[in-house]
Amino acid sequence: MHLDPHPNLTSSVIYGLGFLYLVQVVMNLFWTARCMKAGNHQRLPSVLGGGDVPVAMWWGMYTALLSMVMIAHFTGYRNPEAFSLLLPDWFKGSVDVCVNDPKLFFLISTLIFAGIILLRKTLATDTAGWMLFNAATLFLSLSLTDWDFRQIVGKPDNVPIVGMLFIVGFFTWLFFKKANENDRRIEQGLRPLEAENNEKVLVWPDLVYTELIVMIALTAFLFVWGVLLEAPLEEPASSVKTPNPSKAPWYFLGLQEMLVYYDPWLAGVVFPSTILGGLMALPYIDFNKKGNGYYTFNERKFAISVFLFGFLPLWVGMIVLGTFLRGPNWNMFGIYEYWDVHKLEALNNVNLSEYFWLYGLGMSMPVPDATSSFGAQIATIVWRELPGILVTLGYLLLLPSVMAMTVFRNFAFRMGFFRFMVFANLVLLMAALPAKMVLRWAFNLKYLVAIPEYFINI
Amino acid sequence: MAKKPNTDDILKKIRQQKAGDSSDGAGASPSNEGAAASVEKPKVAPTGGPADILARIRAQGSAAAGGTEESAEPKPAPKKPTAAGPAGILAAIRAQGTVSDGGTASVAKSESGTATSKKAKSAAAPVGDLPPVDEMLRQLKTGKVGSSAAAAPAKPVLQVPTRPVKKAAAATASSRRGFLSWFAVAWSLLAVTSGAWVLATARFMFPNVLVEPPSQFKIGSPSDYPLGSVSTKWTAARGIWVVHTDQYKGQPLLYALASVCTHLGCTPSWLEGEQKFKCPCHGSGFYMTGINFEGPAPRPLERVGLSIAPDGMLEVDKSVKFQEEKGQWEDSKSFVDASLV
Repeated sequence: MHLDPHPNLTSSVIYGLGFLYLVQVVMNLFWTARCMKAGNHQRLPSVLGGGDVPVAMWWGMYTALLSMVMIAHFTGYRNPEAFSLLLPDWFKGSVDVCVNDPKLFFLISTLIFAGIILLRKTLATDTAGWMLFNAATLFLSLSLTDWDFRQIVGKPDNVPIVGMLFIVGFFTWLFFKKANENDRRIEQGLRPLEAENNEKVLVWPDLVYTELIVMIALTAFLFVWGVLLEAPLEEPASSVKTPNPSKAPWYFLGLQEMLVYYDPWLAGVVFPSTILGGLMALPYIDFNKKGNGYYTFNERKFAISVFLFGFLPLWVGMIVLGTFLRGPNWNMFGIYEYWDVHKLEALNNVNLSEYFWLYGLGMSMPVPDATSSFGAQIATIVWRELPGILVTLGYLLLLPSVMAMTVFRNFAFRMGFFRFMVFANLVLLMAALPAKMVLRWAFNLKYLVAIPEYFINI
Repeated sequence: MAKKPNTDDILKKIRQQKAGDSSDGAGASPSNEGAAASVEKPKVAPTGGPADILARIRAQGSAAAGGTEESAEPKPAPKKPTAAGPAGILAAIRAQGTVSDGGTASVAKSESGTATSKKAKSAAAPVGDLPPVDEMLRQLKTGKVGSSAAAAPAKPVLQVPTRPVKKAAAATASSRRGFLSWFAVAWSLLAVTSGAWVLATARFMFPNVLVEPPSQFKIGSPSDYPLGSVSTKWTAARGIWVVHTDQYKGQPLLYALASVCTHLGCTPSWLEGEQKFKCPCHGSGFYMTGINFEGPAPRPLERVGLSIAPDGMLEVDKSVKFQEEKGQWEDSKSFVDASLV
């Protein structure tokens, strides 16, 4: 008998998946009933006869399919070798190729972000939302048949992140649904929905009772969670032994990913402070008086898009990358890929000064003379790093003016000098992360300004 | 009165009132009854607070409404106190009230020589030789007013409604002072305790016994470390790798690298197959020589001191560091020339 140390399917996995499908079946039964009640009909294309069928019929068929899959899991779990409901290898392979390269991952997450914005009218409807939710749960259920995927997703550390992805998706969808509705009303010259239905409720009992119930439910949930999932404790800490891979708490994985591209004082101090300070500065930067107290997208396109770009691809996306895709030696691994400690990724990172002096001019690098005076050494170092210093200064000092004269002319006019400079620098610092990532991937650029002598690396 | 007026309102109203009084005709001769007021009531509260001023305003209001008989007597003695601090203000207010009520002006003599600025007096219109209220308030604020008048008891002469509260004032003041001194004691104790606590904490930083491996230790004979090898046997206990290689500048060298990543301080792993040090935290990679080549590490790994002890053993000195980017790897204490041993 062949014994696979990493079996994709075992009896308990199949049995457990049966319950996951059961949940989906029940949820879709409710959805089908809801569709029945709504009574919407759809005209079939002429190929299928052109008849008029209720929309609920499609959902009924999908639910029936799910029930059959569920029954198959509940009846066939005793023989995992023969169980054939697996994710095909070609699918796993192509997904891995897409996500185990940071370039592609970032490109895809940016495309998803753009798709959310551009297709918001289509995606933020009840039916589309339900379809997306079903797609996500089905993807999860099928992927759980893979051993490596289970290792990553089932890790007690990572379970909350799977939940978080569903929550982030839901609230993003909810925002766009409400915003779409208000945008439609505003186009028709009506007031936003929140202004129409401004009935107030009482703190006591309405709010307090709700809070009490939520509090009890959440406490119960945490108890169940704490009992069912063991705490991910590890061996006693040792200053000379670092787990491989060594991961920050999940909410800091975005910062840890930033540290791959930037020096600690930038990625660990300057950027986090800028994020906090920048968020606090938003009310003073924003000059758009609209969208106050109601959901809208069309009236605040720029603000919402910039915020969502910072939040979805740059924060949540980096958390996903750090959680699911970073493996041993901080290499990138696909979600269905085995975490091979010896996976080799050839990299040779080069500083901009080395590009400039060695490759560009064909000269040797200026080396500070250890015997000369302190000032002379500093001068040599600055001379060595001059290209990077100029690029950085140009980025932070020159580019805001260029922005003010071109794309953000209207902004600069309405904000005034000081406010616009703050705004422009915040935007540029946010863009600095993807910019540096792209430079690293495209040119193996390590640092624009590399002064390791004094711990200044940009 | 629906809302309590603030000081500005009161002053404004007072000024308006003054103007009204003088236009009534009596303005030409300052009446003296006001002077009486400086003494009236064993006054007390060192506050010419809004409430008192308010009382005056009310009184003046009634005066204006009531047609205001003037007192005929001319002119107070010039040495009447012009401003006697809060008490004076209060008195002026009350006097104003009595004037309007009936003008019974009895002049009480004031014993205090508190008169401060005589020039202020000339401006006073309706209330005897007291200066205007805002002048008195200003003096009160600048603290120029002699306080003795306030404290001086004087017999009440006018039918001013007496306030029952004030008797306990002296007792209250002394007990408040007592309370404050206890407060000072408490604060001092807190300061002393905190200081002791800080010192104890500082002492805590210097333990009596430091359980820590010595920074200088012997790692065996050079022949234990063949050419082209990285020894990890001292990594777990002492945090160093011992490297013997000729990849750095062509000579066969023995040196010890500190197993601390120069990016953020994790411990990299030595990967024999890939012949590199690789950090599990952010993916920094270093060649066998310690030179950084991949990931975010900005500078090479640091060497620690290595030398041949008199007994022929290699001896590591972790108390010194040698950084390549500062040219310190040229230092002969940072390596052992393997061709000589």
